[in-house]
Amino acid sequence: MIALTAFRLAGYVRSHRVYQALLLTLAMLAILYGSRAPRGAEVSVLADGAVLIIPILAWAARSLLDTEPDLQRELSAVQVGGRGREVAAGLVAAFAACAVLSALGLGWALLLGVSQAPPTGVLITILLLHALATLTGTTLGALTSRAVLASPAVSIMALVLGFMAMLLLSASPLYWLTVPVIRWMRAANTGLLLDQLPQLAALSLLWCLIGLAVYVWRRR
Amino acid sequence: MRLSKVTFRYRRREPLIIRSADARLSPGDVIELTGVNGAGKSTLLRLLAGLARPTTGTISGRPPVVGFAPDRFPVGQPFTVTAYLRHMSRVRGGARWEPWAERLTMGHLLTVPLGELSKGSAHKVGLAQALMADPGLLILDEPFAGLDADTREVLPSIAAEVAAGGGIVIASDHQGGLRALPAVRHWSVVDGHLKEGTAVEPTAEVADRAPAVAAVPQVTVAVTLPVGELQPFLARMRGEGYQAREIEETG
Repeated sequence: MIALTAFRLAGYVRSHRVYQALLLTLAMLAILYGSRAPRGAEVSVLADGAVLIIPILAWAARSLLDTEPDLQRELSAVQVGGRGREVAAGLVAAFAACAVLSALGLGWALLLGVSQAPPTGVLITILLLHALATLTGTTLGALTSRAVLASPAVSIMALVLGFMAMLLLSASPLYWLTVPVIRWMRAANTGLLLDQLPQLAALSLLWCLIGLAVYVWRRR
Repeated sequence: MRLSKVTFRYRRREPLIIRSADARLSPGDVIELTGVNGAGKSTLLRLLAGLARPTTGTISGRPPVVGFAPDRFPVGQPFTVTAYLRHMSRVRGGARWEPWAERLTMGHLLTVPLGELSKGSAHKVGLAQALMADPGLLILDEPFAGLDADTREVLPSIAAEVAAGGGIVIASDHQGGLRALPAVRHWSVVDGHLKEGTAVEPTAEVADRAPAVAAVPQVTVAVTLPVGELQPFLARMRGEGYQAREIEETG
């Protein structure tokens, strides 16, 4: 499965599709961190970055999963010994690509976006938030990939509207119906991120796992 | 390997593509699968490969290593032939692809991007990736289509070797490329039903045949004539006892 994951990543890079997501990421980072945040605003700024990169990560995951022709996916499933392993390899490759972009975002933010390095505890929290953002982007990308939504137009609309619905729902009292990204930002702004992290992380993880389960079910 | 009462449809309420297929495949079998276009041959091959699940019925005893060569290799990938086969070799746990590249006369293709391959050359890549892991079940979808003469000659012996090694070979083939092999089993798909041992469909090149003298060596001829004269010509040939049918319309 690792070899198939490497094959998917190599195809994504060699097809140059990776540059689409990379350029979007760099543009977002340049705008978001154009000037350093004042002292004391580190958590808020870093949490905002974790949320705003999610649609780009979803685009990257969708793009990676769509790089391989449908027939090659079938060949890969035969080669690797089953559809389940092929699906898993694709998801791992998508998560890896998203993790690189997410790491780039976090690294840029820490070097150029804040006035001082956050304390270790806060840094670990922000790392966890970026990991959740990576998983959220991977899930949204997988659910809008060609294997699930055959039409490119519908797929793009679903990705954009899916993220907007995530924002709107998570800003409402029904935030528990989605990955509560706005609640991440609010908790960071109010200094409650450390306290609320277990609940927010569990809810985010739950919705990501449900989304991935739907993807696997559609690919069976 | 056994198929028990296998039926398949792509979606609910759609007609069945495969209907109640029963079959047993044993190590060493070479099976030629025929049927008209759209009969369900490729669907049956996908079921055998494990790429689709039967709607009802079961397929059991599938060998752990399966090789599948599609009728159209997916060339829209950003790799050269070598890079692609290396990746597939790693996926197969380090299987050796080089001997197959040599045997299928692919030496001059190794540095060519997949997207620039001709149909026949791409087909060879598909064959190499299917063969490299010594499959216990080798599935070939129209394996002779587009191949050059040298590779067409060597392919039956490769199939025979896989079978001699205890593998099962099943090929969807309209061109009769495997018929020279001894003890080839003939399957045909007719209206979704899998039948064994029925008469093989005429090959693509066959225009007419003299059935009354089966023991006499046969010959295939192609006749070109105006479209308007086709039906009277076919009727006349059939009236004289020859099998005749239209192959293609040109011009």
